[in-house]
Amino acid sequence: MKMEAMSLSGLDNTKLEALAHDIYSDLVEDACLGLCFEVHRAVKQGYFFLDETDQDSMKDFEIVDQPGVDIFGQVYNQWKNKECVCPNCSRSIAASRFAPHLEKCLGMGRNSSRIANRRIASSNNMSKSESDQEDNDDINDNDWSYGSEKKGEDNQTCPNPNSPRRSKSLKHKNGELNFCRLAYNYNSGISYETLGPEELRSLLTTQCGVISEHTKKMCTRSLRCPQHTDEQRRTVRVFLPGPSASTLPDVDAVVESDGYDVSDGQALMNRLQWDGSSDISPSDSASSKASTNNSDSKKPKKKKKPSLGLSSSGTGGTGGGTGGGPGTAGSGSSSQGVLSLPSRKKKPKLPAPPTPSIYDDMN
Amino acid sequence: MSKDLQMRAAINQKLIEMGERERLKELLRAKLIECGWKDQLKAHCKDVIKEKGLEHVTVEDLVAEITPKGRALVPDSVKKELLQRIRAFLAQHSTL
Repeated sequence: MKMEAMSLSGLDNTKLEALAHDIYSDLVEDACLGLCFEVHRAVKQGYFFLDETDQDSMKDFEIVDQPGVDIFGQVYNQWKNKECVCPNCSRSIAASRFAPHLEKCLGMGRNSSRIANRRIASSNNMSKSESDQEDNDDINDNDWSYGSEKKGEDNQTCPNPNSPRRSKSLKHKNGELNFCRLAYNYNSGISYETLGPEELRSLLTTQCGVISEHTKKMCTRSLRCPQHTDEQRRTVRVFLPGPSASTLPDVDAVVESDGYDVSDGQALMNRLQWDGSSDISPSDSASSKASTNNSDSKKPKKKKKPSLGLSSSGTGGTGGGTGGGPGTAGSGSSSQGVLSLPSRKKKPKLPAPPTPSIYDDMN
Repeated sequence: MSKDLQMRAAINQKLIEMGERERLKELLRAKLIECGWKDQLKAHCKDVIKEKGLEHVTVEDLVAEITPKGRALVPDSVKKELLQRIRAFLAQHSTL
């Protein structure tokens, strides 16, 4: 009996429909009740009207629906038509093009240096012959001569006289003074002639300082700049007057480099040439061996009084010799350099000394 | 008649037991929110409350005002879909 009572199949459709509608109504009423309870609670708790402020503010922030403006009422391409005056070249530039223009104008963007270098490369290649390059290499090998032996380089007008190609190929050469290729500047060096001794000293303690053959400017890269060897840096510090600049605290001696002869330095350096054993081994054993070797040979050649208590053997493997030592700076430092250089430069000849050790004095 | 009532009760019971009622309720709620019915009704509530005064609103007041309007405001599509589902349920479970 129960089964029969429950069966719907006996019902006709209208009743079924009515049933369905009833169920539906119940559901809708439930929903309405739910809403009422929600609202009533919000009212009694006080948060029902929270999203409404006063009428004036409501009017201010109404959604804007006009053509030409966005829903906040702002014009979309308001700044496109405005023009700005470039502070560098004093031209009037469209606002949306202003930033890229500044980049090129000031030469400080990523692309501008590339373009400039490329331009110089092409102009260099056109103006210089190949033999020029060879000659430069030969003369400059392992030596730095300021202006005297070189053919006149008339590249003063070019901001980056060294083409990228040149500097790349000569990167690892000994003694070659190359213009440091600074990525972002046109005139990227400092003319040492304009610097006073103090500035010079401070500069040389922080920067590479190697003087380019072409522009007579000092490299402003770091002390470990890969374009120049430590030997070049050493020679610069020897040549330029006054600098007892080294970063290490061992420096005592007063530096006089006036009487220093360039050729002498060259001779000294030549004597320091190691044949096979120039492999740079930062180990102490190698360093001590090196130092003793060189120090003996150096003694007669020394010009200046070694006031530094620093001896090459003493310092052992540390990159430490800083010398304020002048004259024999070349020899001394190179010996030191062999000892302590952990650099990765692949020179077959003299391994370049670490930059701070330029002035170490030899006893 | 009582058979009818009995049957109805049985059906409702089944609806609840099987969780179908809950599902239907949730479905309805979601659809009503989606179609904006809830916001409409809430705006109406605001009017009622402003009329009656914030402090003196009672649930009964609200229910009396809101329910008829709510029933009327349900969009047809929602109604149709719900009815369809109910009928399907009934058809499926016509025999116990």
